[in-house]
Amino acid sequence: MDIHYQPLEGRSPGYRLLLAVLLSLVAAGFFATFQMIEHGIHLSGMTNRVPWGLQIVMAIFYIGLSAGSLVVSGLYGIFGKLEYKPFARIAAFMAMLFLVAGLLSIVTDQGRIDRVFVEPFAHLNPTSMFSINPALYIGHIMICIFYLWALFKEKGNLTKFSSVLVVLWALCVHTGTGAIFAFVPRELYNTALLPPSFVAAALSSGAALMILVLVSLFRITGRVLDRVLVIWLGRLLAVFIIVAMYVILIENVHRLYLIESREATGALLFHGYSAWLFWGGLIGLGSVVPALLLFRRRTGTSVRWIVFASVLVVAGVVCERYLIVLPGLEHPPDLFPGYEIVASPLDEGIVTYSLSFLEALQALGVLSLIGFIFVLGLKYLPLLPTEARAHGESQMLRELIASVDREPVEGEVVSRR
Amino acid sequence: MSSRRILGVGRNAAVAVIPLLIILAPLGHAIYVEVLADDVDDAQAFLELPAEPNDGCVRETTYMRFHHWELLREVRDEVVRGGVRKEISLTRCRECHPSREKFCNRCHQAVSLEPDCFGCHYYPAAAAGQREVTSR
Amino acid sequence: MKRREFLRKGGWFLVGTGCGRGLLMVAAASAAGADTRWGMVIDLTRCPADCRACVQACRQENNVALHGDTRHDIHWIRKVTIRKKHQPDGREVSLPVLCNHCDHPPCAQVCPVKATTQRPDGIVIVDHHRCIGCRYCLIACPYNARFFNYRENEDWPNPEYPKRSHGVAESCHLCAHRLDQGLQPACVDACRQAGAGALVVGNLNDPESEISRLIAGNPVQRIRPDLGTEPKVHYIGL
Repeated sequence: MDIHYQPLEGRSPGYRLLLAVLLSLVAAGFFATFQMIEHGIHLSGMTNRVPWGLQIVMAIFYIGLSAGSLVVSGLYGIFGKLEYKPFARIAAFMAMLFLVAGLLSIVTDQGRIDRVFVEPFAHLNPTSMFSINPALYIGHIMICIFYLWALFKEKGNLTKFSSVLVVLWALCVHTGTGAIFAFVPRELYNTALLPPSFVAAALSSGAALMILVLVSLFRITGRVLDRVLVIWLGRLLAVFIIVAMYVILIENVHRLYLIESREATGALLFHGYSAWLFWGGLIGLGSVVPALLLFRRRTGTSVRWIVFASVLVVAGVVCERYLIVLPGLEHPPDLFPGYEIVASPLDEGIVTYSLSFLEALQALGVLSLIGFIFVLGLKYLPLLPTEARAHGESQMLRELIASVDREPVEGEVVSRR
Repeated sequence: MSSRRILGVGRNAAVAVIPLLIILAPLGHAIYVEVLADDVDDAQAFLELPAEPNDGCVRETTYMRFHHWELLREVRDEVVRGGVRKEISLTRCRECHPSREKFCNRCHQAVSLEPDCFGCHYYPAAAAGQREVTSR
Repeated sequence: MKRREFLRKGGWFLVGTGCGRGLLMVAAASAAGADTRWGMVIDLTRCPADCRACVQACRQENNVALHGDTRHDIHWIRKVTIRKKHQPDGREVSLPVLCNHCDHPPCAQVCPVKATTQRPDGIVIVDHHRCIGCRYCLIACPYNARFFNYRENEDWPNPEYPKRSHGVAESCHLCAHRLDQGLQPACVDACRQAGAGALVVGNLNDPESEISRLIAGNPVQRIRPDLGTEPKVHYIGL
């Protein structure tokens, strides 16, 4: 099967405008970071009780997204599914960019950015997940570059080897990222189920984002994207959603059951904004609704509904990342079990984190930077295939094509038999 | 060798060497002024030195000029991470060199260096009796 | 034969270097007083509820930042008042809470650059020259005893001791600079001067020291010993 890759021409006014907008947002992000370097991080919403905020939430979100991209890429690289070969390069490139975004989010969050390029490498602490993880991330970026290069070279064995390597390393990266929180003695952090739930949500959000990016890219550039491929990816996403929901529910039931974390988990699940984010954002709109949409035949075979479900999943996982980081910090450690603190110069009770404008600008700047590199990459690298068609080789695909036998609705890409 | 050949070689050499000389001239001037010239010791007046006679510094001048930051780093790690306090400390430096403005800052500004130290470690810019606090 | 000899000599060289390094480390450890183990006892029966002498002394001695904002203010030591739950008329106890200098410090475990470490004499200290400001130690500390410099600190009450610029984490270090010189921490001195003498800092490894005798002769409690951090701040009368 021959795939021709044709980069974007990149001469349209829309393309240039997009680049200009992204670049100006990057500049705004730089400005915000510079302000914090000059005047201190008190310009963000973080405090002594809530030392991590939006940047760390986005960092783990981006790192999670890279897993899903790599799984889609691995469908071709590891399992040899030729139908997914057209997406392998874009997925690998996106995975690498997401990791860069994650690292950048963390780096711009540090108190002494001038030291963060020197000290962690000179003095690694093997007991610290914050020390091991950057090593994993940087290694992962290099492996992704190697994988992308192998895909460009199109050597079968090399592709397969690098594909397996990148997925295994990605598993370590995501387990490590979950471990940043799981290996710390805070009531709402301390659980062995956090790394698996992190990986599961990473897979679902990454697959969802891949669907969104692929459908929009092919539609904007007017290239043919076989509907059957999107439907297949939608089914994969549905499985990931179910697995993620399972692990997250078990994690929370376990925390609720144990007496030591019952009060904190009860507050998270049933009071305040976190209850809305959890039940409404993560479980309801982020998991149950998309799963229903994807499993039902009518909506699960419609590209429009699949895209809508993907948007919901991505939003749900953003909620989940927020719920991983913030409630654990907002809820105080129990210093005196059985007692309550009636007076203290500090805020010893439950506090709330509030975002600051500069912080949001910083996060937007990071996102725009990788968006900028991505848009440039589409023009200068052979990433985008001219078309992506399904072939009716596999039995399952043939049945799927048969079941999708109806009049194509206006606006949907046409499937080939 | 023919004269034309020699002329050709000479022209090539000139084309290469003359720009090189122009580029290296400031370096040569600097080397002359700092190292070779007779009045190089006047460079010492650039820094305010303690009155003679004095006990001398913890290390000799040439060492300090080229390695004082390494010395400070070693002492700092010993003190902070090891808890071992010996005779070297910034407070003792201030005994003989009381003004940061007239001593430390002179060379630092000349080489365009902004060491991070003084935002946390007290070293008054003005002379003793006039406390000045600068942040980073 | 030459290569083999080179390898053999090289091997012995490496062994020698390794031994040398090991000896240096042992020497450094003993120089820092590795057989000293600093701890603290707080006798709450002597601690008046409205006294803040230790807090003020610590702030004065160590240039601890106060901005007037509870979100960013730093309290190496603070007075906390507690009362049994569901007993609004119950007895209120006021106690100083500070870094416990745990023997298994989670903050040192998670510091990515080993800026926060436990010295051989048991004091947990931050190397402000190395701290990158990631604030992971604030998250790992189960006692809310660690703080981050979110703002620049304009006050410098004690110029003899450095202050911290914004961007680094900090917490109480038992006035290591005073202990290293044979003095007592500022809070201990202030408490004694205020007439209470509730704070005692001493060598836990010395069975004859005041602190060891206090611990041996009184029922002492520590905050959340179940966490396994092995805190070294003990309370009498909690």
